[in-house]
Amino acid sequence: MLIDIRSLSLKVGDHQILHDVHLALNAGEIYGLVGPNGAGKTTTIAAAMGLLNREGGTISVLGDDPGIDARSIRARCGVLPEQNGFYDWMNAADYLGFFARLYAFERTLREIQERLTQVGLEPHPRQTIGTFSRGMRQRLGLARALIGNPELLVLDEPTNGLDPRGRREIHNVLIELSRRGVGILLCTHLLDDVDRLCHRIGLIVHGRTVAEGTLAELIQKADKRTRFRVRLGGPLPKAERGPSHVSIVAEQGDWAVVDLDPGTAPAVAWRELLLAGWPVVEIHAAGGGLEDLYLSLTEDKAA
Amino acid sequence: MSPVVVLARKEAGELVLSPRGIAWLLAMAAALSVFGLLLVGNTELSLLDNAQVVYDMAGIVTALGALLAVVVGNDSIAGERERGSLMALLLTPISRAGLVTGKMGGLVIAWVLMFLIAVPYLWAVGSTGQNLVAAILGVALFGTPVVLSFGLFAMGLAARLGSSRSSLIATLIALLVSGSPVVLGPSLRQSAIGRMFDAINPFSGAVNAFDSVIIDSQPIAAQAGRLGLTIVWLALATWFAYSGVRRLAR
Amino acid sequence: MRARALAVTAIMACAAASADAAPLAIELSPSSANPNSPRMGDRLSFQSIIRNDGKTPVEGVIAWISLVQIDKGKEQPVDLEDWSAHKAVTIPTLAPGEAIRTDWPMRLIQAGMYRVVISAVSRDGPGLTASPFADFAVRQKPVVESARVVPIAFGLPGLLALLLFWRWRRS
Repeated sequence: MLIDIRSLSLKVGDHQILHDVHLALNAGEIYGLVGPNGAGKTTTIAAAMGLLNREGGTISVLGDDPGIDARSIRARCGVLPEQNGFYDWMNAADYLGFFARLYAFERTLREIQERLTQVGLEPHPRQTIGTFSRGMRQRLGLARALIGNPELLVLDEPTNGLDPRGRREIHNVLIELSRRGVGILLCTHLLDDVDRLCHRIGLIVHGRTVAEGTLAELIQKADKRTRFRVRLGGPLPKAERGPSHVSIVAEQGDWAVVDLDPGTAPAVAWRELLLAGWPVVEIHAAGGGLEDLYLSLTEDKAA
Repeated sequence: MSPVVVLARKEAGELVLSPRGIAWLLAMAAALSVFGLLLVGNTELSLLDNAQVVYDMAGIVTALGALLAVVVGNDSIAGERERGSLMALLLTPISRAGLVTGKMGGLVIAWVLMFLIAVPYLWAVGSTGQNLVAAILGVALFGTPVVLSFGLFAMGLAARLGSSRSSLIATLIALLVSGSPVVLGPSLRQSAIGRMFDAINPFSGAVNAFDSVIIDSQPIAAQAGRLGLTIVWLALATWFAYSGVRRLAR
Repeated sequence: MRARALAVTAIMACAAASADAAPLAIELSPSSANPNSPRMGDRLSFQSIIRNDGKTPVEGVIAWISLVQIDKGKEQPVDLEDWSAHKAVTIPTLAPGEAIRTDWPMRLIQAGMYRVVISAVSRDGPGLTASPFADFAVRQKPVVESARVVPIAFGLPGLLALLLFWRWRRS
């Protein structure tokens, strides 16, 4: 396990910021850390990187305790913090070369150019960072996080300031990295990014982890009626009773909108549909997805 | 290459290659130019006054060097924090001690540049007088620990205070208090409090050493006590900087 | 009668005093090595000969150098603090006919017209003995040369300003 955080509590000054945070990230996994503003996401990252002392709980990052050997962790991690400033007088290549040397790597100019190309950044060699747009700066920050070939990437709002094409490019980079075994901790407000990228999600509210798992697990645990759209390959069979655990809400041409009973696992519901003779072609979540889950969980905790 | 050296080179580059750093050096040179030009054409100066001019110039170079070090030291921590670039540095494997040492390297380079700018001015006003070489050596020997002390003090304070402006103002006030003997003159320093202040003030140590070497033609070796005072303050300021940066984040 | 006796006594005392003060004679001359037209920063030397012209030894002689500036409108005594480290000599006993030669070196600190004199007193002598004056002129030397200062005062900031402009354009 690349990151294993259990029952983390942390104070900053007199303020108890984190009460009980859990997080588990494996190699090759993209973990989405989501939560409202001020929930403690950035503080959790800071504790994992050894920037803040924890009060209670345990943290293991790449096998090390950041309270004991933070430098060893930082040497193997790439981090893109939310507050992302640069040295405006440098050009991109010099900037990456500087950080590569801080990580004790000597990168050739060609390797640096490849890293810049990887994140979709190809500035003029003499163009200084001070002239970069916000999106270019964000890409440069990501290139900096990748410069040391890290085992673990920690990204705080990595697609901030990027247009849809740019976001898609970054998504592809992250998916490719996870396929190569890099663990990625993704802290973001953009639920679309989480939905598209993340294998697992952790939801923090008021310094506590209120939900953790795959999207399907979380939706299942939410204990609410969930709604799906089912595309049918033919007419619904006529039967006295419909499939168990499923209620038909509406029929729209080839599509049927169904609600699952509370506590019903989707897999169980689909088996019932098939046993009932439904010609199921594909199934999509229709409402009750991540956004609804997020809003319901954060609303409950905020109340 | 050691991360400390990498960081020191970056800090030096920031001073030499960034418009902000060059503007600071330009301001220092302009101040020395104003002082030098005020002396031109003054035919009433005696030979003794020429020594006084070199002594005054040496004091001004040290004061300006300390001012530059305060600005650079404050900017290297508080300025970077406000520009958002400090976090990326803290997240690298460089140790906190290495971070301070690297940034101190930047201070050293800033002072070396300031000194190199000042030498032509010292030569221009002092070449016809006495003890020019001793003056240049004196500025190097006594000015260096004083300048670095203020730079490190600025770094330590910037790490502790949340605002760049607050830490800069506080450090400038400390510099003003320390430099007050130069402004107040010898008569006000003759009181018991004045003498006590002179005895512990590193700036006074440097300025009094300049007086002895440039005006009284005493050997530099005889100023060992004053040099010791400046080095003690350098050690204290170094500890202050290291302990402050350790608080920023582990 | 009594007043006449007192007057005679006074006249005899003055004569005796004059006889005591008169034995010391001081000659003063500039050193032959002095530059003809000295400038600020140059070194001069004066030589004095202090002689006992009397018949009895003179005890506890102190001789010292004095310097005054005699430029019109700037007449003032000069503090020899920075001019000379050799400001006085003492002679424990000067035998009759004995002469002591003393050198008086000085460094010329300021331009102007100056007058130097050597004065001497003895322990028991009531009066002061002074040498003849020695006058000399010190020429002004340019202390801060504009030919050196101006190019640097404008040149260095100018170079830095150019460098700033270049970097600002690039950024």
